[in-house]
Amino acid sequence: MTADIVKPKPGVPVAVLLAGLSIGFFVVVALATGETAQLSGQGVTGLLQRMVALGLVAIGQTFVILVGSIDLSVAALISAVAVLASHVMQGDPAMMLPAILVCLGLCVAVGFVNGALVAYGGINPLIATLGTGLIIQGVLAASFGALQGSVAREFQIIAYGGVLGVPYSLLLLATLSLCAAFVLDRTLFGARIYAVGGNPDGARLAGIRTERVILSAHMVASLFAGAAGLYLAARLQSGTPWIGRDGIYDLESIAVTVIGGTILAGGKGGVAGTLAGVLLFASLDAGFNMLGIDAFLKQVLRGTIVIAAVAVHAVRAKGHVA
Amino acid sequence: MTVVPALSMTGISKAFPGVRALDGVDFECLPGEVHAICGENGAGKSTLMKILGGSYRPDAGAIHLAGKAMQFTHPRQAAEAGIAIIHQELSLLPHRTVADNIFMGHEIARRGLLDKAAMRERAAELLRRIGARIDPQALVSSLSIAFQQLVEIAKALLLDTRILVMDEPTAALDERDSRTLLNLVDSLRGDGVSIVYISHRMPEVTAIADRITILKDGRKIWTRPRDAAPISEIVRAMVGRDLKDFYPAAPASMPREVLLSIKGGTNGALRDVTFDVRAGEIIGVAGLEDSGKGALAQALVGDAPFTSGTVALRGQPIALRTPRQATAAGIGYLPGDRKREGLALRQSVRDNALLTLRSMVGLLTRPQRGALADGVIDERLRAMDVRAADFGQEIGTLSGGNQQKAIIVRWLAQASDILVFVEPTRGIDIAAKAAIYETMRVFADSGRCIVVVSSDMPELIGIADRVLVMHQGRISGDVPRGASEEEIMHLALGLADAPSEETGA
Repeated sequence: MTADIVKPKPGVPVAVLLAGLSIGFFVVVALATGETAQLSGQGVTGLLQRMVALGLVAIGQTFVILVGSIDLSVAALISAVAVLASHVMQGDPAMMLPAILVCLGLCVAVGFVNGALVAYGGINPLIATLGTGLIIQGVLAASFGALQGSVAREFQIIAYGGVLGVPYSLLLLATLSLCAAFVLDRTLFGARIYAVGGNPDGARLAGIRTERVILSAHMVASLFAGAAGLYLAARLQSGTPWIGRDGIYDLESIAVTVIGGTILAGGKGGVAGTLAGVLLFASLDAGFNMLGIDAFLKQVLRGTIVIAAVAVHAVRAKGHVA
Repeated sequence: MTVVPALSMTGISKAFPGVRALDGVDFECLPGEVHAICGENGAGKSTLMKILGGSYRPDAGAIHLAGKAMQFTHPRQAAEAGIAIIHQELSLLPHRTVADNIFMGHEIARRGLLDKAAMRERAAELLRRIGARIDPQALVSSLSIAFQQLVEIAKALLLDTRILVMDEPTAALDERDSRTLLNLVDSLRGDGVSIVYISHRMPEVTAIADRITILKDGRKIWTRPRDAAPISEIVRAMVGRDLKDFYPAAPASMPREVLLSIKGGTNGALRDVTFDVRAGEIIGVAGLEDSGKGALAQALVGDAPFTSGTVALRGQPIALRTPRQATAAGIGYLPGDRKREGLALRQSVRDNALLTLRSMVGLLTRPQRGALADGVIDERLRAMDVRAADFGQEIGTLSGGNQQKAIIVRWLAQASDILVFVEPTRGIDIAAKAAIYETMRVFADSGRCIVVVSSDMPELIGIADRVLVMHQGRISGDVPRGASEEEIMHLALGLADAPSEETGA
């Protein structure tokens, strides 16, 4: 105890490293394939727009993973929200606000159920949210016939409109990301999320009502999934019960969160890393398209990169211990 | 003059299914008093403190704080009432900063927004107050156990803590850090904090406590001022036997042939370690934290192997690069962190005892044949006096002493010749300690040997035939049986070889 003051060790943040790699890959591929148009303002905007849907879901996923839980129901919820939004609107711009409110209400309810099952029911989050996801998916597939409709043209501005060349969707992602980062880093709620994820018993003994924190994190995750659903509805004009599942938003949101340095056990990580993970996926997709790699090989390469990224984290973590 | 006790618990009873954990226990602590609680594992100390901390509700009895009746239904209420408990297992967030940890659950915030600068400043102030030179911005995972303990104390002081419960605070600390901690306890007492101090280390208890209470089987035996409670009395009250039977007698025969010989053993944490282990010997390894004593154990069992130097077993050079090679060479390991490295807590006592045997036999061996049969291992467990209702029960439900015995059975079944013990009696009650010491002696006397790494100096002096003392990765000295604590401390601090000099420790 008489040793010298222990100093924090500096290091390159994961997010910066990952974003640098992604951009580097994108630029190199664009130059190598001669698709220099991809490097114009428009090309870059296109790249960033690929991030929106996955980015929104992944930010929410980051909250639940940080708190030591996980959410597998997001893909089904995205589909449900997209379908519900189209059905309520029926192309009528006057119904935009009610539709949004109904959808967010559904998200709050799903998040509440997920959170209650995990926090108060003590059910393993993988199972609990897999279950709610299956229920939502089932109800949706069975009742889709009765839920036809499409969103209002004005609503599609979210996906296709913009200001000064910047799409509204990107602004939405940027704003929500900043809000999420701020909440995690600067608010009581954020501090409690890290506390509960890092050491649930310790947090409880420190007087934190851990159940409420877990519940709230699940509601945040569901609301972000809902935002992604609304965005997809705007982009596709009408929702189908399979858009969430086809986009593999459940597993990919977990993958990018973990790639971004958030540990599955909880208590370490953040939004910046997650966004960098999303950017990595977006640049890979764009790069593979430019290279003309076929869809199956693309999947193989993505899988390899997920494993490699997590392996790099494992090595880095070991290095810190030594 | 009568002082209103800061804490008074009267007639506390608590029963769990099948166990009467506490039976009408009275306990009080005055302002500015250090009140020690001693008792074997299972005596009810932890239950009493969990009731005080609001984790359990008592079946009967009352708690008064400064004369006011209290009822806690949640740990938060106890914390708000000024009670802080520092648990044996630290409750820190490894990936967060020291300041984040100190303020966990009690962050300084305005309308939900954190005031990080204020928290850093206040954290630095608290750390200064307890004499801990730690940067509030450092990550907890970068701190040693001793420093983490200090962060826990700072955390407790943040709240206006009037009653501080310390449950085995020195269990993971070496001698030097323990002393610093005791000084800190002393200064907190000076500030009027009431301290409930739970420890198995008798010298500490008699050095720091104003009063001592003994619990046994859920009942209070007595409470006495320190002067009326010599260690021998305390031990007798706890176990009903005398301290002098505590350590087994030294062996009659001299150590025999060399079993294991290390020459110039070096790795990241060790430098030029050379020593021999003879049949019939118990060798102690002493040293402060980070002296390399833990690394030496890890090297011997192939967990963190030597990178240079030679190891010879009965004169034949061997490689100890993995735990499997060490096991095959007849070296067994009782790790210091029993729960994490020693046991599969959710598996049965039997499965745990069979772990090594099963891992060393061929994959196609029939699981109930020969040494692997239930009957054979049960026989060994009974011979070791492992107390369990049924050897099929989860080992996590047994006391620490019985868990440790089950691990010893694991290596006896493997017919190991050399056992490496790390902190073999950490957090284990006195009766089980005596049994483990006896087992160690019998093992060594049968022509095998033990290397025991420990932070508990009286233990090393009592059990070891000679003690290697480590300092900064080297063996700084080698003392025979009968050496004094001062001698060992002198070497551990890396001072000159002559112990007659002023230690200045």
